Amino acid sequence: MNQFVTLVVGGLFLGSIYSLVALGFVTVFKATQVINFAQGSVLLLGAYVIARAHDSIGFWPAVVLGVLAAAVAAVLIDAVFIRRVRDADLGTLAILTLGIDILLLTELTRRIGTDVLNIGAPWGSDVVEALGIRIPASRVIAGGVAMVLVAGFWAAFKFTDWGIAMRSAAEDGETASLMGIRLNRVAAAAWALAGALAAIGGLFLTSFPAAGVTGGVGLVALAAIPAVVLGGFDSPAGAVVGGLIIGVVSVLTAGYQQELSFLGRGLGGVAPYVVMLLVLLVRPSGLFGTREITRV
Amino acid sequence: MIRAPDTTALAVHDLHVSYAGAGPALRGVSLEVAEGGVTAVLGSNGAGKTTLLRALSGTLRSQRGTITRGTIEFAGRNLAGAHAADIARSGLVQVPEGRRVFGTLTVEENLRAGGLAARDKHAARARVDELFPILRERRSQRAALLSGGEQQMLAIGRALMASPRVLLLDEPSLGLAPRIVEQLADVIREINRQGVTVVLVEQNAAMALAVAQRAVVLEVGEVALEGAADELAESEAVRERYLGTAKRSAQAPVESDAEELVVDGLSVQFGGITALSEVSFTVSPGSMHALIGPNGAGKSTCLNVLSGVYEASAGSARYGPRELTGLKPHRIAALGISRTFQNIALSPRVSVLDNLLVARHRLMRSGFVADGLRLPRARRERTEHEARVREIAGLLDLEPVLARPVGTLSYGTRKRVELARALCAEPKLLLLDEPVAGMVRDESEAMAQAIANARTELGISVLLVEHDMAFVMGIADRVTVLDFGRRIADGTPEAVQRDPEVLRAYLGGAA
Repeated sequence: MNQFVTLVVGGLFLGSIYSLVALGFVTVFKATQVINFAQGSVLLLGAYVIARAHDSIGFWPAVVLGVLAAAVAAVLIDAVFIRRVRDADLGTLAILTLGIDILLLTELTRRIGTDVLNIGAPWGSDVVEALGIRIPASRVIAGGVAMVLVAGFWAAFKFTDWGIAMRSAAEDGETASLMGIRLNRVAAAAWALAGALAAIGGLFLTSFPAAGVTGGVGLVALAAIPAVVLGGFDSPAGAVVGGLIIGVVSVLTAGYQQELSFLGRGLGGVAPYVVMLLVLLVRPSGLFGTREITRV
Repeated sequence: MIRAPDTTALAVHDLHVSYAGAGPALRGVSLEVAEGGVTAVLGSNGAGKTTLLRALSGTLRSQRGTITRGTIEFAGRNLAGAHAADIARSGLVQVPEGRRVFGTLTVEENLRAGGLAARDKHAARARVDELFPILRERRSQRAALLSGGEQQMLAIGRALMASPRVLLLDEPSLGLAPRIVEQLADVIREINRQGVTVVLVEQNAAMALAVAQRAVVLEVGEVALEGAADELAESEAVRERYLGTAKRSAQAPVESDAEELVVDGLSVQFGGITALSEVSFTVSPGSMHALIGPNGAGKSTCLNVLSGVYEASAGSARYGPRELTGLKPHRIAALGISRTFQNIALSPRVSVLDNLLVARHRLMRSGFVADGLRLPRARRERTEHEARVREIAGLLDLEPVLARPVGTLSYGTRKRVELARALCAEPKLLLLDEPVAGMVRDESEAMAQAIANARTELGISVLLVEHDMAFVMGIADRVTVLDFGRRIADGTPEAVQRDPEVLRAYLGGAA
């Protein structure tokens, strides 16, 4: 029982990191109708910059630098590649982002090589213990940061001018532009936000208990995709809940690997997708998705 | 009142617009909008009104349209080719057709969205609150839950939040009840009185000419007429454009084995709204009967009841001895009644021939197994049906395009394919929903010819729903006119055309 609770709590903390990455994904989709597969490599870029910079400029400045680098990279992807083909269909744009992902990922893994770069977090490999549950400090911090960011995102989305511009543009871009809302700026803000969230996700995904920044981290970030699909593509709340579910499911399946060995090894990697498929069978537009994804 | 007719707020000069893969939509349109006035832009579907507005508001790009020549002068600069958001920020703000409020946002948030780019939000907000007290009451509701009239008010309020110097209104009266349209006219007058120049694009000429001081009439991408609104409302030229001229004496009904269609006291209600109220008329066998009226008159509703899509709340529609109300659409089709739709409903990637063969389904006996196995019986049957399909296609001048996928054809041709498909079901009574909507003149003439051929060659009755009065005057034997769900006239084209009620409905009090 104790193991179960430990795994669930650990899963929620891991899931909160996925939630951040998934939230960026949904923001981009809502603002520009692009399924952004480059989110994984942008995440790795953020983590890579932090890992490279922390020795010379210190950890916190390095985090700021990494977040900025990822945000700028995401804005550039939109401005250079996506903007000129904005009216292309969903599939074309998704494939375009896949291509960008491959390019960026290849360059980053070439630079990283076989190294495992230390992210240099001050909390190191500390472990927090409460009520008989032991959780790495980095995960607890990740959970707290995620909570603050999600709440901030929700408030901004709901109450600020930026949020209203974003939601108007998401619902009917042409009409929003008739009101003087500049769609390119709304798009750039969404991409920047997604990049920043990815970098923060990257920071925590490469902290303890993970070994550090490796070329494979970009792939780990793919777990955010079942989270997004599960939650419903256009729902920020869905992204958060989807991320938590995926976190719990993957930690549970990894933790009970012995008991589940009849299903074969490496189940932890597959489980998120199985859960996603099961949810989609019952609710084809995801848990919180409002409509089918079509561009008309 | 700000009225200085000598100053021009907005000047369009020699504007040409084309859409990718289609001919020119505007061909040298010039017009001047006087500062502080209301200018109406009239014209039927496909005249280029929407294209003109898209050019003015910078939203041609999403429809793959481009300004190929000409200028749009506003506030000392040429707007041709500028971005929509920049145009809106410079003070030329459009209320889009169909309202397009942000349905998932609250009323309050919609108004905030409108004011995001404005300098003085508080003044604009005070003005909107005063003009539309209803929006204040509903401010925390989602916009999607408002009624059509309230949504139109919200769309106008949202645009006013952007503090426009010139307000462009695209078909604001579309689909609204008469009382609401009157309110809307008052609102537009009030907005104008407060110093906003208004450009009003309308199909509802009665409403537009009552509000505007000046008007231009577009026709097939060109300015056909322009002048003072009250003079235009009286002029023969406008009357002819809106009411048409009976081009030839009505034909005698053709030989037909169709039954008589008797519509008696038909009423339809949606929730609390009466869309159709005690409408009666008779379509005699072999005749060409037109059901006309302005937008929102209830024409399509009537057709939808006759084809079984909507349920009548009272009254009857008998086809020969059979009662149609309460029958399912496929039962009605089985009686020999076919219909077309206002919006094209064909499979775009499939050839014209196959689209037409689908309509023979009702007449085919071999099942899909026999057909799939290409049994001799099925093959023989297919050959027979194909021959008949070719014959019908010939009547409508479609033989040359039979092998082409429907998606590659022009709009006018696709509408003819749709007509052919309805005919391929071998109906006795054909229901046509706005067959020439959005067509340029050549296309609509080809369509008129196709309908006339089909009727005489196939010996069917035709019930034609149309709001382009000029079109039906040339081809109908008998005309029933609806306005706001009621029948206001019924008779021969000549009689209907002189009917004072009809003149009022189409051209307003001035006529």
